[in-house]
Amino acid sequence: MEKLQRTVLYDRHKALGARMVEFGGWEMPIEYPGGVVAEHLGVRCGAGIFDVSHMGRFVIRGEGALPFVQHVLSNNALALDLAPVGAQYTLIPDQTGGAIDDAFLYRFVDGEYLLVVNAANRQKDWDHLQLHAAAFEGVELVDITYDIAMFALQGPKSRAIIEAIAKDPADLPEPCRNAVGIAFLAGVRVMISRTGYTGEPLGVELFVGREHALKLWDCLIEKGAVPSGLAARDTLRLESSLPLYGHEFGIDGHGRQIPCFAFPIAKWAVSFSPLKGDFVGRAPLQKQFAAYSGIIYRDYSLLSDLPRMFRCVAVTGRGIARAGAKVFKEGKSVGYVSSGTMVPYREFEDKGLLSRQIGEHRLRSLCLAYLDSDLNEDDVLTIDIRGKLVEAVVVKYHLRSDAPPYAHPIVYGREIPKLPFACPRSFCKGGGKPIEPPAAEVPEPCAAPARLVRKAVDNFRWRQYECINLIPSEMTASPMVRLLSITDPAFRYAEHKGAKAFYDEEIFYYQGTDFIAEVEWMLEEEFRKYLGCQEAETRVISGQMANMTVFSAMVDYINRADRHSEPRRIASVMNNHIGKGGHLSAQPMGALRDFVARDPKTERPAVVNFPVLAENPYAIDLPAAFELIDSCRPEMIIFGKSMMLHPEPVEQVRKHLVEARIDSVIIYDAAHVLGLIGPYFQDPFADGADLITGSTHKTFFGTQRGVIAGRYEKHEEKYELWEAVRRRTFPGAVSNHHLGTLLGLLMAAYEMNFFKDRYQQSVIANAKAFARALKDCGFDVAGSPDVDFTQTHQVVLNVGYARGPEVAERLEANNIICNYQATPADEGFSAASGIRMGVAEMTRFGMGKVDFQSLAALMKDIVFDGVNALDKVKALREPFRELRYCFADDEYAPILESLRGLV
Amino acid sequence: MKELSELKAPGDVRYTKEHEWARVEGDIIRIGVTDYAQDSLGDIVFVELPQVGRKYAEGEECGALESVKAVAEVYMPIGGEIASVNSVLEGAPGLVNSAPYSDGWIAEVKASGIADMEGLMTCDEYIAMLKGHKQ
Repeated sequence: MEKLQRTVLYDRHKALGARMVEFGGWEMPIEYPGGVVAEHLGVRCGAGIFDVSHMGRFVIRGEGALPFVQHVLSNNALALDLAPVGAQYTLIPDQTGGAIDDAFLYRFVDGEYLLVVNAANRQKDWDHLQLHAAAFEGVELVDITYDIAMFALQGPKSRAIIEAIAKDPADLPEPCRNAVGIAFLAGVRVMISRTGYTGEPLGVELFVGREHALKLWDCLIEKGAVPSGLAARDTLRLESSLPLYGHEFGIDGHGRQIPCFAFPIAKWAVSFSPLKGDFVGRAPLQKQFAAYSGIIYRDYSLLSDLPRMFRCVAVTGRGIARAGAKVFKEGKSVGYVSSGTMVPYREFEDKGLLSRQIGEHRLRSLCLAYLDSDLNEDDVLTIDIRGKLVEAVVVKYHLRSDAPPYAHPIVYGREIPKLPFACPRSFCKGGGKPIEPPAAEVPEPCAAPARLVRKAVDNFRWRQYECINLIPSEMTASPMVRLLSITDPAFRYAEHKGAKAFYDEEIFYYQGTDFIAEVEWMLEEEFRKYLGCQEAETRVISGQMANMTVFSAMVDYINRADRHSEPRRIASVMNNHIGKGGHLSAQPMGALRDFVARDPKTERPAVVNFPVLAENPYAIDLPAAFELIDSCRPEMIIFGKSMMLHPEPVEQVRKHLVEARIDSVIIYDAAHVLGLIGPYFQDPFADGADLITGSTHKTFFGTQRGVIAGRYEKHEEKYELWEAVRRRTFPGAVSNHHLGTLLGLLMAAYEMNFFKDRYQQSVIANAKAFARALKDCGFDVAGSPDVDFTQTHQVVLNVGYARGPEVAERLEANNIICNYQATPADEGFSAASGIRMGVAEMTRFGMGKVDFQSLAALMKDIVFDGVNALDKVKALREPFRELRYCFADDEYAPILESLRGLV
Repeated sequence: MKELSELKAPGDVRYTKEHEWARVEGDIIRIGVTDYAQDSLGDIVFVELPQVGRKYAEGEECGALESVKAVAEVYMPIGGEIASVNSVLEGAPGLVNSAPYSDGWIAEVKASGIADMEGLMTCDEYIAMLKGHKQ
């Protein structure tokens, strides 16, 4: 027998008391004395460290490297061209569409790829790559398996460990999957990628020079990482349904090649991008993909190309379904288990985002099975476990990784208990009214309306009289605005469209609309006056709809020369990243989705994000932004965000576009700051924006609607874009445009134009005072200290990694209503470390700087000292019940009364 | 893996070559697996218990212990009818690891075969056998 190879950590494993086994030609730790169960849970609850130095590592460099990897690997290596995505899962396909191996491709530095393959396949992969490399010019292939060590640090605590030992945390990869970076950890240079094989949402793989490996390993263990062996690596990958070569790829239990698409992960690992060109196995993979696509839609006509697929199966009976066990459905053989075991897990509480792991661990039996492709989720199966038929069921997944920092087990049959009411939370909080249990008997017919009204009244009193409302997206409308919103127009229709045949006159389709036509015209006029522009469109009923309408108009506009062909989408967009304060409505995952093209290189939406300053991620890094604009030449630039502390550099970007002769439409999404537009904050049209979108109820005075405004004049070519905005509003986005709130909004616009001078100054002054006071109380306040942290109505706090939801909940229990928010450093909302607050609504209720300073002190007591300050918060709110900056003096009393009489 | 000196092999039970133990307790014989068996297997995550009321011959397979990676059959150290099983193990299989000679017992056998106990190894004999294994 060939002598087993040892990694540089062999002596460390022995010293730790590891049980060593042969694996892929290497002598590796299968488990340490703590045992596989403790190691598995150690990763899920804390952080585990795996020595994976046995895996094969090849460097591919030279001018032919890119065409070569595009030819021999299944994924699109061009997608690794843009920071921060530097790693991708990929397959090494053979000519028949099977996998020679599965692998990860990394791009840490320019002009060089690192391919990591399975230890057992290293020689086979190497021979295959060499064979194909011969046909390419300028490809250098180097096996560096022995030169560098590789560790995987995985689990919710991995992040804190890495940050603790990083020389400069700014060098660490961005907080998103497959991001890469090079940083000094424990004093040694390490290539880091946010990847792993455990299903953990937080985790990294580390590549370090062999000579430094022991130092890094020791340091990670000292910081609390638990050494974990191959057994835990297998149970973790199985629980997260990741494939293992030899089980889910390679040769199946009947000696046949497994088609790559049999494992659904192939959907992400195989690219048919035209930029990739032909590659090994392309034609059979394309056939498999067609069959796979059919199966997704339950069309089984191409089943012969993909007769079986791997599925997650939960064993509901007693027993462990191990690899090779036969699987039956209604007595008929439908496949076999490819990998299976019993895995430990810890339950989470039923508390949504605030759920914590509780109690002792439990065990569950689960497997991956290679089953006939026409099987579906929830199909009941039996598995032959050592002669006994044990019940099992096809499930969608065993684990979810999309709520960092924890991976969440999904246990078959577990249901979250239903709450007695659809939305009872607000009734049991603060106001002190407990939830009534649902009546055991059928209530009398009149009981439900009475209860609803009572609860609505309770909620009104709680939010309007007892809570400090700090949600920056919210605003209470004045009594007059509220009353107008529920008068007769609330029940009417008034669709209308400008008609060229009538010199662009607005033609209404229904009778009885003269009043609303006048209201709408006056509302547009108020917005033109407020924003200083030529055009306003007020029919959109939300800010998100305003954005979607503009994107749709843009597509209409860029295709106006050709109405025959398939319309093209917006070629490229530059915006604020959602993780850095950008709003959903400007993201591909939100309203932009159907309107932005895919970048053929990355095969992702063609969106680039504004680079931000290292010292203040809420401000754009202009020199870097200019560079990016020059290289990407975005067709559309979207300013504005939902975490907005500073004005946007519209003026500088416009100037740059002019100088660089780049024709780009600048949208300013003023959703949050619409009520602040003007000399005290920012004047986007004066700065060079083309279009402003916004919602009318955040800093503006309500009602809840949207608005679009344009600076184009009729003689300009771009006026066509404005006309498209009008068309895509109606009949594109709305037919009925909610006339009640339209009428209310006109009154709100009167209020704004009348009171804005004092209101805007007060809001900004209050926000600054609040931010300063919070800082003085010891809070970590985001934003630039040079401007008192904020120049808008918003104040953002960092309360600690993933602590946002808990702090927001604690504040709510004390009648302070705000929202948790993922900050630029967080992986997602469930890991939010931010608290976002806005002072606009409470400013309107009359709170001043001193009151916000008192509020900051109360928040300190609540957040830092765990004090119950409910009564103090109620007392602070007490004097501020009357809305200011509206027409509410005695002289308006009679007209208000006449309105009340109507409704 | 534990060193030989760390392995427990109490004197009040008798042992088999397959690393089961048996202990006379009044008119029943309690059976289980040894410290060496549990240590070799690693974390036990599933236990298949014998059938209560069924008679098994000496050396017959009567159940199984499963770790994450492997299955190990349990053989009857002596012949007899199963009087009861340790069903606690169904929910807490780790007891076999943590307390193989006490809470981690597997079954109780009616004592028809008390005389058969003489055919089993004493702890000294068992330890001597383990020494052979370890070497």
